[in-house]
Amino acid sequence: MSRVLAVAANTYRETVRERVLYNLVLFTVLMTLSGLLMKQLSIRQDERIIKDIGLAAMELFGTLIAVFMGVGLVSKEMERRSLYPLLAKPLDRSEFILGKFAGLGFTLLVNVAVMTAGLYLTLAATHAAFDPNLLKAVYAIFLGLLLVVGLALLFSTLSSSMLAAVGTVMLVVAGHFSDIIRNMRQVVPGTPHWLTGALYYALPNFRNFDLKSRVVHFDPVAASDLGWITLYAAAYLAIVLGLALTVFRSRDLV
Amino acid sequence: MSLGRWAFVLLVPVVPLVQRQIDARLGVHGVHEEVLYLTGKQIRRLSPGFEDLMADLYWLRAVQYYGSQRIWGGGHYELLAPLIDVVTDLDPRLEIAYRYGSIFLSEKAPVGAGDPEAGVAILEKGVRNNPLNWRLRQDLGFLIFTFLDDAQRGAQVLLEAARLPGAPFWIESLAAQILYKGGDRDTSRRIWRGMYEQAEEGPMKYNALAHLRYLDALDQAEALTGLARAYEQRTGRKPDSLDELRSAGLLRAAPVDPSGTPFAYDRETGTVSVDRKSELWRPLGRGGTR
Repeated sequence: MSRVLAVAANTYRETVRERVLYNLVLFTVLMTLSGLLMKQLSIRQDERIIKDIGLAAMELFGTLIAVFMGVGLVSKEMERRSLYPLLAKPLDRSEFILGKFAGLGFTLLVNVAVMTAGLYLTLAATHAAFDPNLLKAVYAIFLGLLLVVGLALLFSTLSSSMLAAVGTVMLVVAGHFSDIIRNMRQVVPGTPHWLTGALYYALPNFRNFDLKSRVVHFDPVAASDLGWITLYAAAYLAIVLGLALTVFRSRDLV
Repeated sequence: MSLGRWAFVLLVPVVPLVQRQIDARLGVHGVHEEVLYLTGKQIRRLSPGFEDLMADLYWLRAVQYYGSQRIWGGGHYELLAPLIDVVTDLDPRLEIAYRYGSIFLSEKAPVGAGDPEAGVAILEKGVRNNPLNWRLRQDLGFLIFTFLDDAQRGAQVLLEAARLPGAPFWIESLAAQILYKGGDRDTSRRIWRGMYEQAEEGPMKYNALAHLRYLDALDQAEALTGLARAYEQRTGRKPDSLDELRSAGLLRAAPVDPSGTPFAYDRETGTVSVDRKSELWRPLGRGGTR
C-alpha cells in the first residue's frame, strides 16, 4: 500500500510541476466574469448560468487534464525510459498502475474541490442561496473523470501518447453519445439489435455522470441514483484497470 | 524604428478595422446563416452533456439581439423567434425563455416584433414541454386574450392553468371575468397588474408597468373628453384646445399623461387621446390595452 501511495504522490507532484493546476486561474477568471456580467446580460438568469458554466468548466477542464495527463502516465515513462529503474525496484506492476491512477485521481480531486469552492463563492457573491445539491453533480463529474483517467491509462499501456490520446478522446466522445448509439436503429433502420446493444453496453456511458441539468433545475437526485452511478463507475473502472494491468504485465519491458 | 516594427504598429489596428468592414457588409446575414442552418435539435446533438450551457449561450444571444434591435435595429426582430426556438429546444424547461420570448415577440414595434402568433406558438411549446407549469399556461391565456382578442380561448386556457398545482386562486375568477366582460379596461388592468406583481425586476415588469400606465392615461384621456363635452354644453361649441378648459376653470394645469407628455386633442370630434409622441402610446385593440 505504501508503495502505491509513493507512486501516487510522485504522480501528483509531477502534475503540479507540469502546471496542470494553472487551469484554476482560467476557471477563476471565468467565474469572476460570470458573476460580474451575467446579471446584466441574462435577465436574472445569473444564478443558473453561473452554475451551468461552473459545472461545465469543471467537467471540461477535468476531462482535458484526465485525457492529456492520463495518456502519458505509462507511455511517457517508457518513452523517457524512467520506467525501467522503477520496475527494477521492489514494485509490482499492479502497484505502479494503481499508484499512477490514484495520483492523477488525486490531482483531479484537488482541481474539482477548488473549482467547487470557487463556484460556491461566486454564487454567494451574487446572493444566491446555498444549494448543497450541486455537490451531487460535482460528485458525478468526479466519477466520470476517474473513468476517463482509467481509459487513458489503459490506452497509455497499449501505445504511444499520441495514439493513446486519440483512442481515449474517441471513447470519451462516443460515451457522451451513448443515447444516440442506443437509438441508432431509428436513424439507420437496418442496424442489427445485437450491434447497438453490444456497443451501448460496451462503451463507457458518460451520460450517467451528467447530473448538471437536474441539479440546476432543482430536480431531486436520490441517494440511490448516486449509488447506482458509483457502482457503475466502480465496476467499469475495475474492468478497465484490470485490462490495463493485464496489458502492462504482458509487455516485455526487461 | 525598424521597418518591421513600423509594419507591426500599422498592422495592429488594421485587423479591427477590416473586421468592422466585414461586419458591416455581412451584417445580420452571418447570424441569419447560423440561426437558420443550425437548429436547436442539431446543436443539442452536437453538445452532449453541455445542452444547458448551450441554451444559456443562446439565451444570452437572444437577449443581446433583442436589446440591440430595439435600440439600433429599427424594430426588426426577424431572428428573435428562431433564437428563442433554439434556446427552448436546447433546454425545454427554461421558463424565462418562453415567458420573455413570448412578450418580446407579441408586443408591437418598436417594443417587440409585433407577431403575437409567434409569441403564442412559443408559449404553446412551453406548455407542451412543461405540462404542470401553471405560469406558462397563465401567460398563454393572457396572450391569447390580450393579443389575439380571443376571450373564449384565453379564458379556457386560464381555467386549465387554475387547475394545476400551485396556481393562485384568482386565476379562475379572472378567467370568468374575461369570459363575461370580454375586453373591458378593468380586465386588462387586472391582467397587467398580475403580470407586474409576478414578474421579477426586468423587461417583463417594465412592460407590464408601461401597460398599466397606459391604462391610467386612457382613463385620464376619457375624463378630459368628458370635460370637453361639459365645456361644449356650457358654451355651445367645442374647445379649440385643452388650454381653453384651463381658462374656463375646468382644469388647474395643462394635462399631461403619466409619462409627462401632453395629451392630444382632436378639435373636430372633441376627443382627447394619448399623443403618438408619448412613450406610453400604443395601438388600440389587438396588441394589449383597450
